[in-house]
Amino acid sequence: MTAYLSRRFAGMVVVMLMVAAIVFVIARVVPGDPAAVMLGSNATPADVAALRTQLGLDQPLPVQFALYIRDILSFNLGNSIFLNRPVVDAMLDRAELTGWLTGLSVAIAVLIGVPVGVLAAVKRGTLLDQGVTAVSMLAASLPSFWVGLTLIEYFAVRLGWFPVAGYGNPGAGLGERLHHLVLPAIALGLPNSALIIRFTRTSMLDVLHEDYVRTARAKGLGPWAVIIKHAFRNALIPVLTVIGLTIATLIGGAIVTETVFGLPGVGNLIVSAVLRRDYPVIQGALLIISGLYVLINMAVDLLYAVVDPRVRY
Amino acid sequence: MFQLKTGFTALAFGALLLGQPAQAETKSAIDIATIGEPGPLDPVTVTSDLVSIITQHVFETLYAFDGKWEAAPLLASALPTVTDGGTLYTIPLRTGVKFHDGSAMGADDVVASLQRWLRASPRGKLAAPAVDSVAAKDDHTVTIKLKQPFAPLLPLLAFQNGAAAIMPKALAATTDTLKTYIGTGPYKIVEQKPDQYIRMVRFDAYSSPSGAPSGYAGTRKAEIEELRFVPVPNATTRVDGMLAGQYQFADSLPTELAPKFKGQTVAQPIMVKPFAFALLIFNQKTGPMANPTVRQAAQAALAPEDMLLAAFGDPAFFQVEGSIYPKGTPFYDEASVKGYNQHDPKKAEALLKQAGYKGEPIKILTSPQYDFLYKMSLVAQQNLEEAGFKVDLQVLDWATLLSKRGDPAQWDAFFTFHTFVPEPSLITIMNPAYPGWWDTPEKKAALDAFNIETDPSKRVTDWKAIQGLFYAQAPAIKIGEFYSLTAQSKKLAGYTPMEWPFFWNVKLAQ
Repeated sequence: MTAYLSRRFAGMVVVMLMVAAIVFVIARVVPGDPAAVMLGSNATPADVAALRTQLGLDQPLPVQFALYIRDILSFNLGNSIFLNRPVVDAMLDRAELTGWLTGLSVAIAVLIGVPVGVLAAVKRGTLLDQGVTAVSMLAASLPSFWVGLTLIEYFAVRLGWFPVAGYGNPGAGLGERLHHLVLPAIALGLPNSALIIRFTRTSMLDVLHEDYVRTARAKGLGPWAVIIKHAFRNALIPVLTVIGLTIATLIGGAIVTETVFGLPGVGNLIVSAVLRRDYPVIQGALLIISGLYVLINMAVDLLYAVVDPRVRY
Repeated sequence: MFQLKTGFTALAFGALLLGQPAQAETKSAIDIATIGEPGPLDPVTVTSDLVSIITQHVFETLYAFDGKWEAAPLLASALPTVTDGGTLYTIPLRTGVKFHDGSAMGADDVVASLQRWLRASPRGKLAAPAVDSVAAKDDHTVTIKLKQPFAPLLPLLAFQNGAAAIMPKALAATTDTLKTYIGTGPYKIVEQKPDQYIRMVRFDAYSSPSGAPSGYAGTRKAEIEELRFVPVPNATTRVDGMLAGQYQFADSLPTELAPKFKGQTVAQPIMVKPFAFALLIFNQKTGPMANPTVRQAAQAALAPEDMLLAAFGDPAFFQVEGSIYPKGTPFYDEASVKGYNQHDPKKAEALLKQAGYKGEPIKILTSPQYDFLYKMSLVAQQNLEEAGFKVDLQVLDWATLLSKRGDPAQWDAFFTFHTFVPEPSLITIMNPAYPGWWDTPEKKAALDAFNIETDPSKRVTDWKAIQGLFYAQAPAIKIGEFYSLTAQSKKLAGYTPMEWPFFWNVKLAQ
């Protein structure tokens, strides 16, 4: 296990350095200039040039790259040009919201996806199965901004049960903050639940035809005991993979939902940084997210061993 | 794992039960939905409208515009005394004005602030060549010595965009973008959470100017205890937030969403007139559009009315108007608007032939981030192609457009808009350094004459000459006026619709 973990961590460092280099190049290749965005449309090219100098953006790219790598190696992700604060602080500010939003969305997705997927597999070919398949296809196809705006229209504007947007007023407690996250979590959780339903159903169908399931039934176990104890546990590995990928994607990828609900999450930070050409934030945020992505994948791989005793590292 | 997920779910439902109403929790706090995160709140170096809207509550200038767009005293105690043939401005300051850090405002602070403005503000840099010195005459009097008369000085000192904002001397020492915000305004910033809110509270030691409120001038009273500027980039969410009562004011709403307010009891839409005008600016430095006859051909080809209709749909939101200044303002002039709204492809074709245009692609920059500009650009493309232009319409994000337009080799025309400014010399295209680079000898002479003229009626005549040149030389096309749609809660009382919304003298009904 130790050797396996060491190999994975070494690989992670290589991946991170590659990500760092690629992100630096991509951010600079895209036209646009943070100084021009900061100064607004009334600024002249001379004003923009002066701010570029102040921000150190007039230095040759190799020099900027060398400084950037030096900073990364000393665990310094730099300062946001636009927000005027360290990138790590900007990320930490958003970590709480993104953590809760990801957690709630995945909880919704799993709580709907896994039981419904299992039920659809057990009731294969019935009206229930066909209905679940059709609804999950529909849910997976719905654009998240549409789901978000529809939820806002009915549950926030008409019924007034939830706030329209934001993450609570200054000094808001956890209850109020989570209250703000219920609709976005549903908007994100529903399409992801469809994916989990489909994977769970397929995986369960594969397992339900295995000999050991037939044996379990033959020895007189109750139908749900067979399904839960024998079939479901073995069907769980592909489902775990999907859940892991869902979590990883949601950390930085809930961009549309965050924009619709005006949530200051990590996805919002990255999109804003791209629009503003805030290079340090783009670089730092993507580096952190890719690190988390690798870590989550590693955690999922380790969970395989917990779920399936045949898996050894 | 499942236990963990169940825990999350329980918390979600708990949140639903425990959640507080989303509205501002006290009656003296309001949430103002803005178009996005403003970034550094430096009113001097940053000229974005959003920064001006927010910072005008915190930083103040010596003068402010009243309801008739005339300068009135704000931190000054009276209008300046102008002597020495218009080259010496003596500005008396109000006494008893305090900064948010508790220190008293004095002439040294004002001198340092004006010097920072002259060297760091895009607006201040327009005045800098005319300024010889800024000095403190005594503790409460400042003098500005000019090299030659410069009439736009007073409007520039009153303008809150690229503002001559007064701050403590120590803060004004830096040319770099501000990191701390200490002004004299009715509100002081207590917290800025990027992409979440900017929170400001009433400044208890605020010293207000006297006189009846008028425009941005007159008495200022912070009736509401706390203002929160909340970035809400999605316009539909801003509207929904107003209708749900979560925000008490929302800025920059798309005109097509105006019908959502019909029959609503919580909020009402507000139209801001005058607001802005759209422009198609030509590159006069290099490329085909550097030829004035080609620019006149474009002027002949375009159909501003169609462009405005495509952009805004409902004529209630725009005005087909060639005069750079709208009706009702001192600089409005119809006579010098020759060549506006022609839509004459044959004339354009003839002018192109006369100019020797050989079908070089005209690179036009536009951005879907401002939907109305993008829609206008599609109509313009069709108009120009009908007349024989070959158009290369480049659809870019706004950041790329701003960056590209600085390099004359990369474009021939770009779409933008300009908010209403009370002083013509503040219009960006008047600045020869602004992309487009309108710097002909005739324009320079006319603008110089306008800038040194201090008699208001003669300035109007001089302005007509400049507007005449604008149409004769076609450095840009003025497409037309458009208005801004905002919304306010029906609980807000005393709000005055202005280009840069402000919330002093505004009350929240019980």
